[in-house]
Amino acid sequence: MSHQADLPALVLRRLAGALPLILGVTLISFLLTVHFGPDQTYALIGKNPTAAEVEQLRSELGYDQPFVVRYADYLKRLVTLDLGHAQATGESVRAMLARTIPISVLLVAPGFILGTLLALGLAALAAWHQGGALDRIISAVSVVGMSLSLVVILIGLQAVFGVWLGWFPVRGWAVSGPADYLHHVAVPTMAFVIATLGYNVRFFRAVLAAEMTSEQVRTARAFGVGPLRIMVVHVMGSSLLPIVTRILFSLPLLVISGSLLIESHFGIPGVGRITFAAITSGDQPVLMAVVGLSALLFVLTVTVADLLCRLVDPRVGQR
Amino acid sequence: MPLRQSRLLVCLILLVLTACEREAGQPQSVYRHAIDGVPGSLDPAHAGNVYASTLVVNIFDTLYRYRYLARPYELAPNLAEDFPEVSEDGLVFTFRLREARFADDPVFADGRGRPVTADDVVFSIRRHFDPATRSQGAWLWRDRIVGLDDWGRDGADPAAEIAGLRALDDRTVRIELTRPYPQLVETLAMALSAVVPSEAVAAHGREFAVRPVGSGPFRLLSLDETRAVLAPNPNFKREPLDLVAEGFTPSLHARYGLEELDGQRYPMIDRLEVHFIPEPASRWNSFFSGREVDNLMLPPEQAVQVLSSVRPLVFQPQIERQFQTYVGQETGLVFYGFNMANPDMGHHDDPARERDNRALRCAIREAFDWQARNEIFYQQLGEIYPGVIPPFLREYDAALPRDSIDHDPAAARRHLAENGWTAERLPSLVYGFESTVERRQMFEQFRAQMAAVGYPSEKIRPAGFGSFGEYHRAIINGEVDLFLIGWTLAYPDAHYSLQMFYGPNAAPGANLFNYSNSDFDALFRRASTLSPGPERTELYRTLNRMVIDDCVVIGSLTRTRVHLWHPRVRMLPDREVLSGFFLRFVDVQGPAS
Amino acid sequence: MSTLALQTGQRIRDRLRHDALGLIALTVVVAYVGIAVGVWLGLWGAEWSALSGPGWASPSAEHWLGTNRLGQDILARALASTATAFEIGVLVAVATTVLGALAGGLAGYAGPGKVDDTLLWLIGTLEAIPFYLLVAALVFALGGHPLAMHLAMIATFWTSTARLVRAETQRIRELPFIEAARVAGLAPRAIVLRHVLPNAAHILLVQGTLVFMAAIKVEVVLSFLGIGVQDSISWGVMIAEGAQDILAGQYWNFAAASLFLFGLVMAANLLADQLQDALDPRSLDSRWQPHG
Repeated sequence: MSHQADLPALVLRRLAGALPLILGVTLISFLLTVHFGPDQTYALIGKNPTAAEVEQLRSELGYDQPFVVRYADYLKRLVTLDLGHAQATGESVRAMLARTIPISVLLVAPGFILGTLLALGLAALAAWHQGGALDRIISAVSVVGMSLSLVVILIGLQAVFGVWLGWFPVRGWAVSGPADYLHHVAVPTMAFVIATLGYNVRFFRAVLAAEMTSEQVRTARAFGVGPLRIMVVHVMGSSLLPIVTRILFSLPLLVISGSLLIESHFGIPGVGRITFAAITSGDQPVLMAVVGLSALLFVLTVTVADLLCRLVDPRVGQR
Repeated sequence: MPLRQSRLLVCLILLVLTACEREAGQPQSVYRHAIDGVPGSLDPAHAGNVYASTLVVNIFDTLYRYRYLARPYELAPNLAEDFPEVSEDGLVFTFRLREARFADDPVFADGRGRPVTADDVVFSIRRHFDPATRSQGAWLWRDRIVGLDDWGRDGADPAAEIAGLRALDDRTVRIELTRPYPQLVETLAMALSAVVPSEAVAAHGREFAVRPVGSGPFRLLSLDETRAVLAPNPNFKREPLDLVAEGFTPSLHARYGLEELDGQRYPMIDRLEVHFIPEPASRWNSFFSGREVDNLMLPPEQAVQVLSSVRPLVFQPQIERQFQTYVGQETGLVFYGFNMANPDMGHHDDPARERDNRALRCAIREAFDWQARNEIFYQQLGEIYPGVIPPFLREYDAALPRDSIDHDPAAARRHLAENGWTAERLPSLVYGFESTVERRQMFEQFRAQMAAVGYPSEKIRPAGFGSFGEYHRAIINGEVDLFLIGWTLAYPDAHYSLQMFYGPNAAPGANLFNYSNSDFDALFRRASTLSPGPERTELYRTLNRMVIDDCVVIGSLTRTRVHLWHPRVRMLPDREVLSGFFLRFVDVQGPAS
Repeated sequence: MSTLALQTGQRIRDRLRHDALGLIALTVVVAYVGIAVGVWLGLWGAEWSALSGPGWASPSAEHWLGTNRLGQDILARALASTATAFEIGVLVAVATTVLGALAGGLAGYAGPGKVDDTLLWLIGTLEAIPFYLLVAALVFALGGHPLAMHLAMIATFWTSTARLVRAETQRIRELPFIEAARVAGLAPRAIVLRHVLPNAAHILLVQGTLVFMAAIKVEVVLSFLGIGVQDSISWGVMIAEGAQDILAGQYWNFAAASLFLFGLVMAANLLADQLQDALDPRSLDSRWQPHG
């Protein structure tokens, strides 16, 4: 088929087209964090410095360089994947990311998978019983879920499971085996599921409900195909595209935004926590590495989603 | 991407599983120590805070340390063989090092730690003056050691000789001062002065800060934002623990079970974990769950849950039964400072206005209620005293009048009225704080107390800062008029707090208040050259009174530290004078609960 | 005003008249507005900062919801926070809607070209930066400005409104009455303002409600992280305080703020549902990602 023949070219074109986006993301972030962001000098200076020592440190930190020079230097290093060192600790940023990203992935993965599956299940139930009591209950639950603040969920769960019942550790990530892992990941997973369930159920229900009325489904029902089979094969099968797209698009957000609050609150050494610490202290090398990386992730996601759309439905994108 | 992530995940789980098996194989005695903050960098040149110090003094060696149990704090030789030989004029110090080796590390030839030499000591102090080090400790020796400042200014040439800082032979260091410095030996007990091998600095560059190599009792196994894991350094060999020399007093220390440790070689544990837990609640839970850490420095919020009385301090019986306890004072102080450079309420060229401004500051001080602060935020676990010389110092003056710390709203109103400070004339003040819940509440408390003496609330404006660095910057740049300072003494000497009021130390220096008083400066200069003695004590007290009389600060309060730990741990925990030397003497008996 | 815009109001009224849940939600929102207005008029909540009693007092006739650590009245603080929530929610929602409508409308009407490309680039760029990273960086960049948090939210929230308006405008501009206006010689800006946007009013209304809610929830997160409300009181500040109070076994502060917050967001959520069902029943629910 013709559209498959030019796939590699398409991918390349997509990625090239993303160049202005990556430039924009890095420029805006660089401007914000470097030009207006916190000044690290006074976090890294001794207890009784002289003005000359302050100047010296500023020059060591590169603060005396003009903006354009610093931005150009950053871009150059980004291209060569030289991410530099954290100003606060001196750790190489690449080592930091290698250390923190797996933790963040391990942290959000169970909540993300569980949350998505649960949401799909509930949405399928609601869509099947469209307009019925079950549908109403599920929709009520999802509205309640959407109305809860993540902060309140976190504090509440920690108070109940960590402090009151004492079942799970209240913080940290002292993981040295699967048992520890389950122990530490339980409360964050619950928080994650509760926080996302409402939104996901609604979205999936809307998608599935629309599909329920399709010709294909009505035919299958008429032929006496079982509900589970109809749901999984026909309904979910044909609404795979919006579902997968949504899941894909929540991935980049998840890795940084989603885990920032959870990691900060539970004292988990993941990428969200180092990012937030870098924002508040103005640790520019860390921040810019995270921004660069997440922009890349975003572009990749968009490209993959686009490709998936084409694979599923060749008409898409013929504009 | 999702595929790559899942593969990563599988790898990780496998890794975690194998690590687990390996660890389960060997019985270990592990001490899990909780501290309430995260050390930034473990390079001794950056170890200006207590969190970094705790680790640095145990990974590296300092020439001196403090005796384990003696209070008030007493210096003891550490890497140095003995106290230095000092010349008649007090300007030349000669230090003799004991035999020691760095921990084994790939940075050394054949991976074996080499002996520590006098050159290492010279290198370690000298590098503070190399701009590339980004030192936080250079100020300790600035203008003090002959030729050292110039060496830094002239390009920090590694080959250049420094007249005042030399290795006479492999184990002798000679330091020549430009003027007497009675606190020199104290500075050599600070983590900032710890001895580093030049190979490691050269090999790791900036990453030396997370890959420290030293000659201390422990070496670092792993480090992240939540904990550091250390193991004994097999190359560390010292004489066995001598309890009497460490200041053991049976009446004070008998109940800690330390006698059994007398004569043992240290470190005694197989593994040391230092957990960084800034949130008080988490620290509390981690300790009482018994699963995560072995010690707790009591967060004041929870004092009621372990104490049956604060004055006198009595623990609840079941706490006494279950845990070991130790109560001491922090070697630091908390107080409010005014920015004296703001002519609206600080120094002023016009003598009449200068007087009015002083009256205003004094009235604010009278309006502030230390008792309420102590009750609400420290559960009364703080000691309030006039001035900036805390009670744990020999120079503390118990005879000082207490009117500068008494809450007297009536007097405040009167003083405001007498000096023409009407609500309209009162200046608008910016109150700076780090944006934490507690600091914000302290602000609201302060503002309400000022409102009670007629200071309009809208004239005390809050300025919250997201990080300590930003807060520090705002203070130094004079953006805030009034700010809370916590100042930890890095050595037990009032010099350390009085230097905050010395004119030449004005911002960006330690004189964050920009206090400028030529009489104070002259006396301070004189006191700075004196060794401990009645003359110096008298001078310190006079200086303290000047700070009180000029209403430069509202203060101070020194917090009481309440330590709890599980009885299977034999130790006396300590975090004062910015150190953590006690960790080398910790022993653990029996498995973790 | 076109007839389409008039129909919008009629449809909302019909919907609410026939749906009990919507009516309840509306009542609740109106009650919250009442609380906020009372705070602005100084009827209650003015004493939120006063040390009016002992610390951590239990609920009593004097302090209906007890006091916090400092001895401040929790109810007064919760009430005063309602006004803060509306100040943030309304300001951010209105500014976002105006900005999004103008940007989306103009770009959509202009059609493919430089203007449209630039807008899409800007939207894509802003959306590619992780949300909290962008907001926090903006807050820090605006350092200390009283509206720093508001501006940061506006700068990040307008993109989704602009996206939707742009798509709707592209649809509307092909309709005959726009063509008529164009033939009549109206300038593009006038066409967008007078004819296109009023017909996208339903989108703006629903989006405005959603932004209102998102702003209130995000405020809580930012205040919790210490970079939100500065010289005032908000539910976020109270929840942050409450999180500490819980350790000392004190739950009122946390409970009061959480319930006040939950009540308003829940009512606004239900109201948004009703609006959506009434105005745009077939649209796929694109409700906000859970930022807060």
